[in-house]
Amino acid sequence: MLVPLYGFLEGDTMGVLVLAHADSTLAEVVDKLRASASLRVDTRGAFDLVAGGQVLDPHATVASAGLTALDRVDARRRDGSA
Amino acid sequence: MDRESWLALAQNLDWTPSYVSEAELFPPAISGEPWLAHEDWADWAEPFRTTFAEYVRTQSQKEEGLAALRDALGGPTHVAALDPGWSAGVKLHSAILALAEFAAVVGNLRAARFGRHSAWRATSLLGALDELRHTQLPLALMHDRVRRDAQADFTHRLYHTNGWVSIAARHAFDELLLGSDPIEFAIATHFVFETGFTNLQFVGLAELAEQVGDTLFRSILTSIQTDEARHAQVGRPVLEVIVARDRARAQYLVDKWFWRNWQLFAPVTGFTMDYLTPVRRRGPSFKEFVEEWVLDQYLSSLDELGLERPWYWDSFVRALDHYHHMTYAAAYTYRASVWFDMVLPGPEERAWLARKYPASWPSYEPIWDRISSAWRRTDPGVEFAAHATAIPCFCALCQMVLAHGTPEHNAAIVVDREPRKVVFCSEPCRWIYETEPQRYGEHKDVVARVLAGEAPANLLEFLTRYSGLSVQTWGKDAFGGAYSWLDRETR
Repeated sequence: MLVPLYGFLEGDTMGVLVLAHADSTLAEVVDKLRASASLRVDTRGAFDLVAGGQVLDPHATVASAGLTALDRVDARRRDGSA
Repeated sequence: MDRESWLALAQNLDWTPSYVSEAELFPPAISGEPWLAHEDWADWAEPFRTTFAEYVRTQSQKEEGLAALRDALGGPTHVAALDPGWSAGVKLHSAILALAEFAAVVGNLRAARFGRHSAWRATSLLGALDELRHTQLPLALMHDRVRRDAQADFTHRLYHTNGWVSIAARHAFDELLLGSDPIEFAIATHFVFETGFTNLQFVGLAELAEQVGDTLFRSILTSIQTDEARHAQVGRPVLEVIVARDRARAQYLVDKWFWRNWQLFAPVTGFTMDYLTPVRRRGPSFKEFVEEWVLDQYLSSLDELGLERPWYWDSFVRALDHYHHMTYAAAYTYRASVWFDMVLPGPEERAWLARKYPASWPSYEPIWDRISSAWRRTDPGVEFAAHATAIPCFCALCQMVLAHGTPEHNAAIVVDREPRKVVFCSEPCRWIYETEPQRYGEHKDVVARVLAGEAPANLLEFLTRYSGLSVQTWGKDAFGGAYSWLDRETR
């Protein structure tokens, strides 16, 4: 099942729609966000996916992390990663 | 009869209705809330006090002057000599304003019938004629250019398309100019918009037009501004009456419309002032123009009226350093979705921006480094090598890209409003939406249209089929990515 998410990558100037699937891992969601923002942001380095103020497990899936359609997710640079 | 005696008579033509009640003659739903009895409006007056004969004589002289300039300077030689970035800014301005001014004809005519004082109605009629002229001037200017520049056609076409800028501008202008009652129209358009934001468009831009040698455009802007300065005078006396009878309503309307106008005109004016005008011809930055023409005058006007500054003022002041930079970088990377070309800021431009925006520009340097590097890896003219393809997200209220806050932290807010979630670019947009959900709740932003299958998700389909653009008209880099400072990588 498709789960569209409002995605924001740290350092970017806009939000983009991330078309994830319920069984996508959150690492895959981060990769989609990186790809969407890569024209504007150097996305090398590690990013955490954050929702509701919590850093999410990258191995979790969209469904198991409790994300539902049109939730906000943020890809935040992991401390010390650049 | 001398002029003063005539005006005293002609401006006070209200009567006591006998066949219907006053509320039937001026229904609250269309005359506006709060609905007040005629006695509350009896002292209404505007300072310009123009007779119809004076109006016609003055406007005729203005038109004759502009026609002579158009004959002399409207030809292709003059247009070809203009900087490509500046020409793009003229296309942006003209398309946003031309048919919006036509919508303002309707707003003025509604006030010419349902305004609550005869002087208000009379001057609104002149305002409607003004706005008709303001529609025709950019249409005439750009019509002369269509044969050589298909993008100029968007001066007329923009609002007949579903491009994202068109959706955002329609959302604001339909409410501001077509859907509002005369009280809200007077406060929102005449007080907030025409005493603040039109100064940016018609005074600030006119200064820049002079600097770049676009005498015809400067003359058009200046000619329009003389009209704006007159019919702007309607706003304050209406607001004074509402402040005295319903201060909370007055405060809400000025706060709502200051934010809505800012959301639209920060990109429209900010793009031209800080990015599209050749750097060596620039004077003050967009932020400095806003500080001079909007902030000081607007706050002192609110103070004189006994109103507070908007609750979001601190956020607004912070946005002066960020919002149009956020949206410009976003729009540059989606430039095929608009009808005007855009300029890649090079070292000289970025040094200027760093001087003008010392607190915020360091956040944008790496973004332009990154976009420039995409151009370095490709050849001039290969637009889509430096163009984004993901679906951008838009605010449920202002319909603009989610580009508030800073690159470090986007200020968007997702709110669960059963049966669906909605997203706002900023707290003030959320506040306006949630204050009048019945007004805004049914409108679909671009993402909602895509998810509902009403708009194509494929970028090319969205640009061509939905936004009315083509390879001839969609926005490109104004210099095709060929800049002397941009060294291309060896491949």
